[in-house]
Amino acid sequence: MKFRVERDALADAVAWTAKSLPSRPSVPVLAGVMLRVADGRLHVSGFDYEVSSQVDVEVQADADGAALVSGRLLAEITKALPAKPVEIAAVGSHLELVCGSARFTLPTMPVEDYPTLPDLPQSAGTVDAATFASAVAQVAIAAGRDETLPMMTGVRLELNGSTLALLATDRYRLAVREITWSPADEDVDTTALVPARTLADTAKTMGPLGGEVTIALATAGAGEGMIGFAGGPRRTTSRLLDGQSYPPVRSLFPASFNAEARVPVSALVEVVKRVSLVAEKATPIRLTFGEDGLVVEAGGTEEARASEALEAAFTGDALTIAFNPQYLIDGLGALGSATALFGFTDSFKPAVLMPCGDDGEAVPGYRYLIMPIRVGR
Amino acid sequence: MRLVIARCSVDYVGRLAAHLPTANRLIMVKADGSVSIHADDRAYKPLNWMSPPCRLEEAPGVWRVVNKAGEELRITLEEIFSDSSHELGVDPGLRKDGVEAHLQELLAAQPETFGDGYSLVRREHMTAIGPVDLLCRDSAGAHVAVEVKRRGEIDGVEQLTRYLELMNRDPLLAPVAGIFAAQEIKPQARVLAVDRGIRCVVVDYDRLRGVVKDEWTLF
Repeated sequence: MKFRVERDALADAVAWTAKSLPSRPSVPVLAGVMLRVADGRLHVSGFDYEVSSQVDVEVQADADGAALVSGRLLAEITKALPAKPVEIAAVGSHLELVCGSARFTLPTMPVEDYPTLPDLPQSAGTVDAATFASAVAQVAIAAGRDETLPMMTGVRLELNGSTLALLATDRYRLAVREITWSPADEDVDTTALVPARTLADTAKTMGPLGGEVTIALATAGAGEGMIGFAGGPRRTTSRLLDGQSYPPVRSLFPASFNAEARVPVSALVEVVKRVSLVAEKATPIRLTFGEDGLVVEAGGTEEARASEALEAAFTGDALTIAFNPQYLIDGLGALGSATALFGFTDSFKPAVLMPCGDDGEAVPGYRYLIMPIRVGR
Repeated sequence: MRLVIARCSVDYVGRLAAHLPTANRLIMVKADGSVSIHADDRAYKPLNWMSPPCRLEEAPGVWRVVNKAGEELRITLEEIFSDSSHELGVDPGLRKDGVEAHLQELLAAQPETFGDGYSLVRREHMTAIGPVDLLCRDSAGAHVAVEVKRRGEIDGVEQLTRYLELMNRDPLLAPVAGIFAAQEIKPQARVLAVDRGIRCVVVDYDRLRGVVKDEWTLF
């Protein structure tokens, strides 16, 4: 194997694949990235039996072949290389890397011991990369991190006709985003529970590439229990979580509201961040909505206290509601609009956060449901 | 156990001299002869005490607790408000593996924690090299051996591996899959378990025993 490649393209490709490598590989070869040259292209791949990632890079190939080297080391080296073409050649049991006047020799691992990467399942459809990336980012924040509830650590994809819905919840908040996509089969109606972290990483790297992302999902047979994403030269596969008994969370959204508030997002985020400085860990901030606007408070009678008022258009009976400040900031940040529309039932029921358009109406497509915190008054 | 509440002053005469001025205190005289003097605060340490073996000499107004070395705890009583004795019997002691045993019991009652359709065959299933915590069947009816730990470490994985190897030789049980269940699983233990085809399940003790946190959730 021998090839010549641009430094940036190589560094990007290696950094991305190396990110999904296991930190404690049970088999040493899994700590490696596979470099394979064929037909004038370099395929860089990594795999940990859960997640596989692969990226193609255009290279000047002198000789086809494959080599397996430590992914972490190669990622660090390529990141530190000067901006010059890189020449890589497999020599015996070593990999020679030359860039400008820098020269590295890395030991290689046996290629034949490396597991075969799973094939991308059959394509279920395509979605605009940028739309997909922003939708995933809006939803993944609400996914849980508690391993005792594995189902909550995933983002649920609902593929229903030309609507692609993404849902995530950690039982304290719930985010739902609906986007349109181009399904391969117009009558598709299926769901998949994807590990949130993998999905977030994948969408984040594929978004800026532009174009379309292909969602590959096998309904039965080979590749069952797996999902694949392909965008530009990158593709990744991940094992799915068991989402058979995912709770019917959509029914948690209230049908109507007793009170509504329209609040500028950036101002509220700043106020919440400021006021929550006095809110100790796991203590809430209190939002009091009334005709005069909104007052945000935190802290108790014994401890430090803070309060700040800001303007808000409020309709309904005055109400005080308490939230985990981080959950509120997460939701506000994910709205992607200048104004947030809060929908309340009462102080004890979940509140809905929606992006608000210039006309004062809710922009459909995104909903963030947040559970209030009980406060002693 | 004799409990005396009295206004007293206490002097310790021995390697270290100590004096507690007059105040209301609790004096505990335990069945082993030990005497300790408590104030109305803290949970773990008396103000002063005499460890057994020692003997208590009661005289009107003055108690002397003397040990073998001749050290003496002298309690000068000014007024006794309460003096009561209770027979407590033999204490079962603090069982260090109490949580682990309870976890096993809870998981035995809720085998669906491991997955839909799981059922319990028996607790403490005996193998030639010792009992495996839980023997279950999965939704397809295949046997699953479960090792329950508080903290999942390498040792526990090794233990389960040994059981699985033996159980898989039994034609009536084989194939037996393994589940390593713990409140917390160390990364090393997880790697080893996954490498050996053992599934790791992190369990929430509080949720299993129905302790609801004082916070609202959506569902």
